[in-house]
Amino acid sequence: MSDTLETPAVPTTLLKGKRILVAKPGLDGHDVGAKVIALALRDAGAEVIYTGLRKSPGFIARVAVDEDVDAVGLSILSGSHKELVADSIAALAQEGASAIPVFVGGTIPAEDVAMLLDLGVKAVFTADMKLDDVIAEVAAGLRGQPT
Amino acid sequence: MNVAPRSPILDRRALGRALSRAADAALADILATPRDESRHLARRIGVTGPPGAGKSTLIAALARHRLARAGQVAIVAIDPTSPKTGGSILGDRIRMDGLVDDPRVFIRSLASRSATDGLADNLPEILGVFDDFGFDEIILETVGVGQAEFAVRDLVDVELLVLSPGAGDQIQAMKAGILETADIFVINKADQPDAAKVEAELKATLALTAPGEPPPVLRVRADAGENIAALDAAIEHAAEHQAAHGPDARRRRVRQRVRGLVWRQLTAVLARLPQEALDQPLPALYAAVLAGLAAGPAG
Ligand code: B12
Ligand SMILES: Nc1nc2c(ncn2[C@@H]2O[C@H](COP(=O)(O)OP(=O)(O)O)[C@@H](O)[C@H]2O)c(=O)[nH]1
Ligand SMILES: [Mg+2]
Repeated sequence: MSDTLETPAVPTTLLKGKRILVAKPGLDGHDVGAKVIALALRDAGAEVIYTGLRKSPGFIARVAVDEDVDAVGLSILSGSHKELVADSIAALAQEGASAIPVFVGGTIPAEDVAMLLDLGVKAVFTADMKLDDVIAEVAAGLRGQPT
Repeated sequence: MNVAPRSPILDRRALGRALSRAADAALADILATPRDESRHLARRIGVTGPPGAGKSTLIAALARHRLARAGQVAIVAIDPTSPKTGGSILGDRIRMDGLVDDPRVFIRSLASRSATDGLADNLPEILGVFDDFGFDEIILETVGVGQAEFAVRDLVDVELLVLSPGAGDQIQAMKAGILETADIFVINKADQPDAAKVEAELKATLALTAPGEPPPVLRVRADAGENIAALDAAIEHAAEHQAAHGPDARRRRVRQRVRGLVWRQLTAVLARLPQEALDQPLPALYAAVLAGLAAGPAG
């Protein structure tokens, strides 16, 4: 609903009404970052679904479609981000959900960022970024998305 | 739209999108395009009870049994919205991972938004979408209830109240509320030492509050699937006595629907009220709020 047309972005409502899936693809068991991000998104007003650890790209795409989320956030600290991101984006396409924007966070070396963006990822985040900036950039990435 | 039963859900993307439209629909839009109440109706099973009792785990176990009876099963799970930020963590479906690969199951998580009755804004509209898509059954998990939220009663055909050991004190507190409305009582976590004690306490309380035939009380272990078949059978039995498709059930649903819409409008009117308005005498304030309600939805 667009009852807040051009109101200035108050931090707590930046993501109001947005549904966001935070997902952990692959085999890595690092979940601190995913949980930190899930809570930060919630505190920015989002409705957050967290998949839990070790999910396949197909599982993540199915949940994204059923929940009709506004964004999928992949949290990857295993080093397998290239394969997992490519597979997750392919799985979304197979479910007819290519329109859902994908964000990636975790231990992503700077030299891999361009490659992920080429795959269609909206933005890539690492632990050295300020949480507020991460949330603001996710919100910016969602603005103008078809809903 | 009539999808043949016992088949996979055909267009999950379309269904997912339709559910979002229903959830986000403005009051004015809902009133402008009222749903047809006389179409196919999915049977609705409501699952309520305190946080942590095992509702989500139980639904995961129960759905497997229901699938043997129904072609397509929807699960709708509600978690609370923070009144401060409007945000929420929708954590129920994490207990239902094993169902995600089943093409006949559709799980949807909802935030309560402005609703404070254990349900969610636009819930009747959202559930109606599953009717449109030909689902046979909907299992609805409410927000973990305190003691007074029994609005779910009007929305479902069969209501389950899930309790677990350690809920002894809650039973006392609950007796005037949902204890009177549930059709089936489930004591979950039968593996824990106090399960028998809770069951005895519950039965004693029920004997006092509900005269006549005592409602079924079942002890189960949701995380191991124990005694879920008996619960499944009890649901079937209760549903047969409910005449889910009769005029009474329909009217109950309509009552809850209109209540939900008025509640949303009331929340909006109160939010728009200028601070000074709260300084006027109560009768004047009351009249102002009623006038706000009568003015109808704004946008
Ligand atoms: C803590 C830790 C562990 C803990 C994990 C506990 C847990 N439950 O999470 C334990 C001790 C269990 C562990 C184990 C291992 N670990 Co470890 N671990 C770390 C460590 C030190 C910190 C990770 C962390 O929690 N950071 C804090 C959080 C808040 O940061 P974050 O996850 O990066 O998230 C932030 C951003 O990236 C971003 N973000 C993250 N996800 C998302 C998602 C979205 C949508 C958005 C918007 C943003 C976002 O926002 C977050 C907040 O700022 C890192 C090193 C490091 N400095 O990263 C190694 C590290 C990740 N581990 C590593 C390894 C190799 C392992 C092990 C394989 C070690 C071993 N040989 O046994 C095991 C494997 C465990 C497993 N099953 O996968 C390597 C990974 C190498 C790689 N990527 O190629 C690292 C990088 C250490 C290193 N330099 O070698 N580990
Ligand atoms: N011991 C035991 N734990 C259970 C059982 N069923 C569920 N649980 C656990 O109880 C906790 C809460 O379960 P959940 O389904 O999320 O409860 P809800 O908040 O009512 O939906 C989880 O840690 C479950 O694993 C059971 O039968 N026995
Ligand atoms: Mg739950």
